[in-house]
Amino acid sequence: MGTFFDLFTDVAGLWQKYSSQYLSGAWSTIKLAVIATAVGCIIGLACGILQTIPHAKTDNPVKRVLLTVLRAVIRVYVEVFRGTPMILQAVFIYFAVPYFTKNAVRLEMVPAAYLVVSINTGAYMAETVRGGILSIDVGQTEGAKSIGMNHFQTMLYVVLPQTLRNILPQIANNLIINIKDTSVMFIIGYSELFAVHKGITGATYKYFPSAVIAMIIYLIMTIVCSALLRLWENKMDGPENFDIATTDTLAHTSGMINYPNKKKKNGAKRRRLALGDLR
Amino acid sequence: MNKQNILQIRHLSKTFGKNEVLRDIDFSVKTGDVTTIIGSSGSGKSTLLRCINLLETPTSGEILYHGENIISLKGGAPKYRSHVGMVFQSFNLFNNMSVLKNCMVGQIKVLGAGRDEAQQRAMEYLNKVGMSQYIHAKPRQLSGGQKQRVAIARAMSMQPEVLLFDEPTSALDPEMVGEVLSVMRSLAKDGMTMIVVTHEMDFAREISNHVVFMSNGVICEEGSPDELFLHPKKQETADFLSRFRSE
Repeated sequence: MGTFFDLFTDVAGLWQKYSSQYLSGAWSTIKLAVIATAVGCIIGLACGILQTIPHAKTDNPVKRVLLTVLRAVIRVYVEVFRGTPMILQAVFIYFAVPYFTKNAVRLEMVPAAYLVVSINTGAYMAETVRGGILSIDVGQTEGAKSIGMNHFQTMLYVVLPQTLRNILPQIANNLIINIKDTSVMFIIGYSELFAVHKGITGATYKYFPSAVIAMIIYLIMTIVCSALLRLWENKMDGPENFDIATTDTLAHTSGMINYPNKKKKNGAKRRRLALGDLR
Repeated sequence: MNKQNILQIRHLSKTFGKNEVLRDIDFSVKTGDVTTIIGSSGSGKSTLLRCINLLETPTSGEILYHGENIISLKGGAPKYRSHVGMVFQSFNLFNNMSVLKNCMVGQIKVLGAGRDEAQQRAMEYLNKVGMSQYIHAKPRQLSGGQKQRVAIARAMSMQPEVLLFDEPTSALDPEMVGEVLSVMRSLAKDGMTMIVVTHEMDFAREISNHVVFMSNGVICEEGSPDELFLHPKKQETADFLSRFRSE
């Protein structure tokens, strides 16, 4: 029991002295993870739209060449950034810029960290989105085309919203992976939670107690994120049941009014009807 | 009454690899015509309809829309499709949108209509198909017949000149076929130009003024419903029809 008591006092002592550093480290971590995941998603969605542009043998040669080059570029991007460690990518990009510009241009470490994590996530998301798009029934695309939508509109209004819903669990995965894996950004001096932990242990030699604090903070961040994303999933699914709308004036007194042309503010109560009630 | 040709199909062929699905198809559709295409499964009916809407690119031949060949029209497919509505066997309603949104999105994004205008028109057609109560429902909450009625309202709210039906009742339970057919009947009565691929022979006979019988990728016989159903000229047509009679 004595050891646990010691641990408790050590942890409490560390927290009392360094809590603001831990918290600012955690804030840097979450900021980097959330923003890089969001940017990565946008990169992934863009790659998804570009990769699925329909191509036919009857297209003019310029368009065909452009599309082929585009696909090849995306392919190379995905393979390179999925196939190398992020810690190495960080070093690679951080030092490549000054190397090629003979030290004229230097990357700041903060933008470099955001850049590396974003394009790394983007590479994974590109494949996730591609799979997500393929999973949407071709009928959805045909329905959209049949009312005159072009490829871009079809993607934006019909396919991608459904894709996004389907890949949300994978986005949550990526966000959680990023929260943890951004710790490798200490290599280029980005001071997130793990770097803070390293700094504090360097000054206090209290390796284990500090690791306990870092573990708990990481866990809290990932659990909160995963809960929030689940909430978002539920929100996207919409309600189980729907409102009946009616123009029948007799029905208005029953409170079953939610007709779009009437003003919503007229105080009419909306009655939720379960699907079972209708049949 | 002087009717104009809206669609003329000229020498249309379609091959998938080495498989020749359509061969030298030739027919025209005039304003207000209800054309039904009948024939056994695999005879190319649906492919023909999909070619007319350019969901399949014909291998050769012409499709003239008001005299203009739409196959050679570069990048014009989306605009052309907004004039030619299509109702699918599997409904193909947008799963991420409510019934009302399904009927509005095309008007807003493709035709550039305002929200109020789009909503008014959507409600008009949803009323017509008897689905105005369900505007807040998502497609997954509807029955097959309801989905198909919404799909018809969606196509109609684009105010197309021609409406194509690809076996609209084939995926429905028998008791839901009636509601969809009665909607189509009332559209026909309003003078809508329609091309209908169907297996409902009685319906085809009742609703159409032109029947096309397809067999093995060619038009085997065409004519008025009375001609074709009562006095088929070809043996194949008679054989095909007799299969329905015996039931």
